[in-house]
Amino acid sequence: MTMTLTRRILLGAAFSLGLAGAAAAAFPDRAVTLVIPFAAGGSTDVVGRIVAERMAQALGQQVVVQNVGGAGGSLGAQQVAQAEPDGYTILMGTVATHALNPLILKQKPYDPVADFAPVSLLVLVPNVLAVNPELPVTTVQELIDLAKKEPLAYASSGNGTPLHLSGELFKSMAGVDITHIPYKGSGPALTDVLGNQVPIIFDNLPSASGHIASGKLRALGVTTTERAPSFPDVPAIADTLPGYETYSWNALFAPAATPPEAIEALAAAARAAMADPAVAARMAEFSATIVASTPEELGAHVKAEMEKWAPVVTKANVSLD
Amino acid sequence: MDLLSNLALGFGVATSLANLAFCLIGVILGTLIGVLPGIGATATIAMLLPITFQLEPVSSLIMLAGIYYGAQYGGSTTAILINMPGESSSAVTAIDGYQMARKGRAGTALATAAIGSFFAGTVATFLVAIFAPPLTAVALKFGAAEYFSLMVMGLVMSVALAHGSVLKALGMVVLGLLLGLVGTDIYTGAPRFTMGITQFSDGLNFVAVAVGVFGIAEILRNLEDEHDREVMTRTINRLFPTREELRAMIGPILRGTGIGSVLGILPGGGAILASFASYTVEKKLSRTPEEFGHGALAGVAGPESANNAGAQTSFIPLLTLGIPANPVMALMIGAMIIQGIVPGPNVVTEQPELFWGIVASMWIGNLMLVVLNLPLIGLWVKLLTVPYFVLFPIIMAMCSIGVYSVASNPYDLFAVAFFGLLGYVLSKLRCEPAPLLLGFVLGPLLEENLRRAMILSRGDPTTFVTRPISLGLLLASLAVLALVFLPQIRKRRDEVFTETDA
Repeated sequence: MTMTLTRRILLGAAFSLGLAGAAAAAFPDRAVTLVIPFAAGGSTDVVGRIVAERMAQALGQQVVVQNVGGAGGSLGAQQVAQAEPDGYTILMGTVATHALNPLILKQKPYDPVADFAPVSLLVLVPNVLAVNPELPVTTVQELIDLAKKEPLAYASSGNGTPLHLSGELFKSMAGVDITHIPYKGSGPALTDVLGNQVPIIFDNLPSASGHIASGKLRALGVTTTERAPSFPDVPAIADTLPGYETYSWNALFAPAATPPEAIEALAAAARAAMADPAVAARMAEFSATIVASTPEELGAHVKAEMEKWAPVVTKANVSLD
Repeated sequence: MDLLSNLALGFGVATSLANLAFCLIGVILGTLIGVLPGIGATATIAMLLPITFQLEPVSSLIMLAGIYYGAQYGGSTTAILINMPGESSSAVTAIDGYQMARKGRAGTALATAAIGSFFAGTVATFLVAIFAPPLTAVALKFGAAEYFSLMVMGLVMSVALAHGSVLKALGMVVLGLLLGLVGTDIYTGAPRFTMGITQFSDGLNFVAVAVGVFGIAEILRNLEDEHDREVMTRTINRLFPTREELRAMIGPILRGTGIGSVLGILPGGGAILASFASYTVEKKLSRTPEEFGHGALAGVAGPESANNAGAQTSFIPLLTLGIPANPVMALMIGAMIIQGIVPGPNVVTEQPELFWGIVASMWIGNLMLVVLNLPLIGLWVKLLTVPYFVLFPIIMAMCSIGVYSVASNPYDLFAVAFFGLLGYVLSKLRCEPAPLLLGFVLGPLLEENLRRAMILSRGDPTTFVTRPISLGLLLASLAVLALVFLPQIRKRRDEVFTETDA
């Protein structure tokens, strides 16, 4: 008994020494946990899992995906903000966790700038304005004209989501009033637009793409200033409303105070993952544009996004407790 | 004949050696994990999703589908043996299944569940094959007003679930509705009854509530009086149903299959209603309604068939529209996207081998489940002979792992503890947990759709009676109400009431 105990202590000591030595030598020496702040199966989850697989190859260690959904992404982001800043717990952040929620929530569970070390902006994902084909409009201008004449409603994936705010930005720039109908996620919102219960939807392009391709939804415009390569026929909303631009994005963040070596290793692995042709092909099918930025670029991006959304949030008068 | 050639294509894909193997692995994994209390299909698939990334798209979806109905099946096993439903649909199975097990008929209950599930699965698979496109059109006709009326009907039916005082049943439904309100109001974003805890901002976790009020409460009850247990385990020898029992289950299985197939195609809550609706129907039609709640065979056969039929037909909106009917289907969509398949109406035409392969594999998977589980029933039943001091800690540990794995949220575990105590207190007060769960599940849907319908109609409440489907559902609810309060039936209910109390 005494023997075993002593041996265990010795082993333990040797093990932790080994850990310390290796950490100084090379990050990572054990599995990295990637927290996805949304439920499995959503678009952030899909991007996260594809990236995690390739990052694991680049890092030579497993990247374990953990879904911590809830509170529009805030729970998962908060968990990473409070995690040990050693680079072994990272977050798949989004426009929601690092721009909108901090602006909208009255009680701020974390600070998107001070509590995180940016790693890499991975992809930009366009949103799309689409209508049920039974609605007699084929262009953004026709929709605006119709909305000025009769009451319309649009569906979104929920209150305070990027899609809701895309809709609010559209309303304020076009000078129209369209009733917002929030749903619990894109799926049920899409169902009701397909069934013509609600005529209009703002959705992520990846989630709506199948229905647009099959003609069950009529895409009027993408929310990015450029057309999406996957849908070259769909114009940008900005063609009708100059200056209109919204998109969703996915980026990796580590807790603040993570050692720079670890950040560099993670950013390099992320860039390697995004450079993989197989990943690029998946992202293209997904209508996502690859950015694969440096940590500094992501830091600047977060600040720019918060400045861009602040007036929209105020104007749309969206605030959650 | 299109259908035949399509099915031939599907069976060709599904019976390739590799796909048969993945289907088998799926149902075995699903059954094993589903049998662990508290771990349902959602948690199982979420945990095993990464394993499928390396596979062919068809194989990975076949395996995931196998895990889904395997886990659903396994969930019924725990509902019957230890009163621990892993999914909302098996909550109903627990009512009479567990009572059968307590009376030494665990084997019969499990065999009934297996036979009912297989039959329902077979019928529903063919429904998917034949009617997928037209049924989808029906589902799309369901707007907010229709869903509201459907939920009203579900709640009205839930009163009939109770086998005691109508008043207590109503009380439980209302308590369930109130618990369902916890979380963020989706229209205003205001948090309600969250006590300032962010972790409850998406509402209470269903699995946590179900495991608490059914499972933990049952453990507490058993700890009170350990003599019950011996009575229960002494007489479990006979596994296969007798001829009379087989005859008695035919009707419930047929009706359950019908109800489940129809309700399963409705996204959101449809499949949950199926097992509750089937139980209500069986109780109403039964010549011996007083047996319900005390181990009625029809109370297991009907709901089990309904929930399995619903599980199969819930693939219809997924495969034909790319729209998930429940959280498991949402995970399947994620799996499809990761595999590079864009879910949507084009899947059937662009990837016929995928669509028909999955349809065919559903039937094969169901067959495998029966073949696999009938012999295993003996083994599962032996679980009951494990002594308390070994079994209970294991169940508690498994429950905790299962509940935590759903969302990695420690507050869900606090909820389990709280609802365990609540369930114990309720059982002391002779209140049923099933209507509470139904209220909890349907309440948020009722509210969400009521408000959405009102916003869409610009505040005009006649929208519920001017839309034909909604009107039909409301009239059906009225009919059920009338039935419940019809003097003769009421008299019979009072008799049941006295009997329960005696």
